Amino acid sequence: MAGAIEVKFYSLLRRRLGKASLALEADGLTVLELLLLAEKRAGQSFLDELLDRERGLLTGTMILVNGENVRLKQGLETRVGAGDTVDLFSPAGGG
Amino acid sequence: MNGWMGRIVMVDLGGHSQKEIPVDGETRRRFLGGRGLGTKLYSDLCPVPIDPFAAANALLFMTGPLTGTVMTSGRYEVVSRSPLTGTICDSSSGGSFGAALKGAGLDGLVVTGRAERPVYLYVHDGIVEVRDASAIWGLDTQKTQKAVQELTSAKASVACIGPAGENRVLFAAIMNDKDRAAGRGGMGAIMGAKNLKAIAALGGQATAIADADGYKAMAARLDRAVDKNPVTGKSLQVLGTSVLVNVINAHGMFPTRNFRGGVFNDAEGTSGEKIAESLLQRQSACYKCPIGCGRTTRTKSRNGEGPEYETVWAFGAHLGISDLTAITEANYACNELGLDTITMGSTIGCAMELHESGALKETMLWGDAARLAGWVEDTAYGRGFGAELALGSKRLAAKYGRPELAMQVKGMEIPAYDPRGAQGMALSYATSSRGGCHMRGYMIMPEILGHPVFLDRFVTAGKPEIVALIQDISAVVDSAVLCRFLQFAMGISTLSEMLRTVTGLDFGDEELLAIGRRIYTLERLYNNRAGFTRSDDTLPPRFFNEEFQTGSSRHRVVRLDEMLDGYYAVRGWDTQGSPTKATLAALGL
Repeated sequence: MAGAIEVKFYSLLRRRLGKASLALEADGLTVLELLLLAEKRAGQSFLDELLDRERGLLTGTMILVNGENVRLKQGLETRVGAGDTVDLFSPAGGG
Repeated sequence: MNGWMGRIVMVDLGGHSQKEIPVDGETRRRFLGGRGLGTKLYSDLCPVPIDPFAAANALLFMTGPLTGTVMTSGRYEVVSRSPLTGTICDSSSGGSFGAALKGAGLDGLVVTGRAERPVYLYVHDGIVEVRDASAIWGLDTQKTQKAVQELTSAKASVACIGPAGENRVLFAAIMNDKDRAAGRGGMGAIMGAKNLKAIAALGGQATAIADADGYKAMAARLDRAVDKNPVTGKSLQVLGTSVLVNVINAHGMFPTRNFRGGVFNDAEGTSGEKIAESLLQRQSACYKCPIGCGRTTRTKSRNGEGPEYETVWAFGAHLGISDLTAITEANYACNELGLDTITMGSTIGCAMELHESGALKETMLWGDAARLAGWVEDTAYGRGFGAELALGSKRLAAKYGRPELAMQVKGMEIPAYDPRGAQGMALSYATSSRGGCHMRGYMIMPEILGHPVFLDRFVTAGKPEIVALIQDISAVVDSAVLCRFLQFAMGISTLSEMLRTVTGLDFGDEELLAIGRRIYTLERLYNNRAGFTRSDDTLPPRFFNEEFQTGSSRHRVVRLDEMLDGYYAVRGWDTQGSPTKATLAALGL
């Protein structure tokens, strides 16, 4: 969708929300603002899978903006805009 | 004695004799058990590298001081020289066989010689019976386990080989407790060479605990930590290990078509999320494990265990196959026939690229899901082209004049993480003591999954130190013996506390790390004697020369030259990768 940020839900988030993605008509948000907006649009809470009570990233949470982990950018303050894809993974492991 | 049973039995199948191998307290303290003590004993028994299939070769089944105690402690380690790689090798498996072997009174069972006719071993009450297995030779692993239980005890835990091991397929697995596998390195083929079909172990004896109150408190803390951790307490339970399909694909390092791509367009269809909503019947768990990462699944026509992450990849993206049923049924076939799924899938992918390149006439096409299970079966029985697949990718690619198309290190196929996407993982593959394996030093934990801290995956600085540290810690966990997944919820101090309460010996964190370093160095010494040097600590040229054009690992190559010298320096090895005299002296080797 033109002018939208695509938010993709994986792992436990997808199971909780029952959907794989949301297209949010938005621009110029921080990742945290995007998460709050996505939670609102999804109509169901899910941030507890990604963030701690102080709204910091949980150990193991992976948030990728266009494939790049926000921990290598400005964390939850990383800015996202229309056309970006944001992948949300709750902590996961395997191997 | 606390922690250990104090008894290791060596059975000579050719000489019809048995003896006890004495191990003193100092040696136990320096090598613990499992992988560490197994490597020490193997190095003493077979100091000069010999043909893995020679009668004189030793095959060790090892438990550790924690075996049969806390959660996940049913594991065991098989140690010998790998017929696939020629390196020292230990192969680890879950289930409950380890707990049963120790409960039968043994810290370890060493098998040498070759029986004249097929035999199985029955271990109980501290003794080892050698019994005729002529009637069960030829059976698959599931039927073998049932048959051996009928011949011994319904309560026995059975480790065995299937047709692949009997036929000495170089990557034959040992299967136990239905579908748990000591998968990597071809340990099953060594059993086959010894005419050893199975080992049944009937437990019963408890491991003596030094500090019962401390142990209880520690175990309760571990329970809470594992339950509270989102990976061990939730993700692995609900989605299994295949949750990584989407994670690694999103990082652009999910190897596709023999590592020519890093993004698989059909990843979603083979993901853990997809398995959970389609084939999954229930979780399955090893001995005393509250995590239960195993998947009991059902296709339209069959049911069984798996697939787990590496297998989903090996029979999926690696081959350009997105048919989850075909992947799953190929996994069932490997379990039944006794094959390592990673090397099996990787070798098929190598053959596909060989065919595409024109080097191989045998028709092997990307995405050919319909023939997948047939290739697996042909490999186990050595039928037709299967006899060539049975050699593994290194020998296959060399035979057809394109050695660079085998995605292996030291002859072992690299698993489901493209090293161009994680520099530390690349170094770990290159320096792994058993070849292209992710389990020697799982750098995916910090570089992708962010445990225990997050590291930049494309940076090389600092990686030699961390790779060596993670390799050392992993060697300790493999020697304790516990499941690696506990590392999501515990640090080395917890391990040290476990060992203290169980054995009564106060292993500090530093001593444990020194034990890990000692084990890793001992493995290196063996590999040096087997002819491995710096030139073998490398990766296939693809990873240095070819860049992905898409995905978030695009335009990256492995920069091993920025890390290898530093790694040797951290390890105290010389520039050719041999431990220096000072290092050996410091480690008491």
